[in-house]
Amino acid sequence: MNCGLTVAEREVLQAKLKELPETMPPRAVWQRIRRQAEAEGLIRRVPEGLRWTVGAAIAATVVLAVLRLPSAPAPGSLAEGELPTVPAYSPDEDGYLQSINALMVQSQLLERDLRRLHYQPQVMRASTTATIDDLQSRIAAIDHHLNRTDIRMTRQEQEAYWRERVRLMDSLVRLRYAQAQRVSF
Amino acid sequence: MSKFSDIEIDPAIVRRAARGDGKAHEIIYRAFATPVYSICLRFTRVPVHAEDLLQETFVEVMRSIESFRGEAPLGSWIRRIAVSKALMFLRSAWHRRGQSLDDDWDETTPGRAESLGLSPHPDTAMDLDAALANLTPVSRAVVWLHDVEGFTHKEIAEFMGKTESFSKSQLSRAYQRLRPYLDAEAATALAPLDGRAFGPCLRG
Repeated sequence: MNCGLTVAEREVLQAKLKELPETMPPRAVWQRIRRQAEAEGLIRRVPEGLRWTVGAAIAATVVLAVLRLPSAPAPGSLAEGELPTVPAYSPDEDGYLQSINALMVQSQLLERDLRRLHYQPQVMRASTTATIDDLQSRIAAIDHHLNRTDIRMTRQEQEAYWRERVRLMDSLVRLRYAQAQRVSF
Repeated sequence: MSKFSDIEIDPAIVRRAARGDGKAHEIIYRAFATPVYSICLRFTRVPVHAEDLLQETFVEVMRSIESFRGEAPLGSWIRRIAVSKALMFLRSAWHRRGQSLDDDWDETTPGRAESLGLSPHPDTAMDLDAALANLTPVSRAVVWLHDVEGFTHKEIAEFMGKTESFSKSQLSRAYQRLRPYLDAEAATALAPLDGRAFGPCLRG
């Protein structure tokens, strides 16, 4: 049976199909899923009071983290054209370090890199905005989980969350620095 | 396998999700929501239907994650659920209209391309999205499953409750319909490869 396309045409078609952009779903869908899952007892419901406590714990952690992080360069301390476009932190070849402490340090270094980047693009592509938004949401979800007081995590589980946080932070930093590099050239 | 294979989730997060941890589920959702939504939107072309299918898929993930053994990547498992839900939706839509999947090809009559603002001429720059829109939902799903997701005709047939021949003929017809939209520039660039013309289009 002849399908009407040459092998080369099929390869072009398949490549173009794979290049088609993905579409992010509206944010509200997760809320609908969570409500349905809670109603069906598929996930544990977090009591309202506890949510407030967790929120306060996150806020406190963020404040502590900011206090512990090295301070960002003062405005104007970098001369014109000296805008950092290469992150100081480079991930290990292995992809991750074993200890939680090392992962926390990696995470802090990435946070510092991000804070050092003063450049904020005036115009951003919708897909880039969506990607940054997605990365930030996923990091926030992990932070929320790491700060929950009602769950006792094993060391391995904590390590898994921190490793994921480092991976997402690394992606975010790379994206932001790539933006800065495009502007500096 | 499209974007699903690029996403890795730590097994510890999957284990927490299996214990009903909402945050672990949220992490999984945020990792896979976009590829799942995209495939559902690709099949249905209606955002509200794609949103419903996204919801159904992840509720099913929550119901069944205890049975996930980790033998295949989590992304493959979620993708199968999403594809199954999307095809079930297409099938139910057919039932509502009193038609069967076998009638699929005859639904799209020649000339519909022009009615959608597409040119039928092969030298027109290809807008692949519009060309896909010109296919019937089942043909579009077969093209996507075979050429992007890498499923075999046997697997597609199982998904659709049809024979392999059905999947092959849907793909062949879809290719015929997509052919005019292939970019003339690409065809020129690949001219030296014409000796490989008409290779097997019906693998697997």
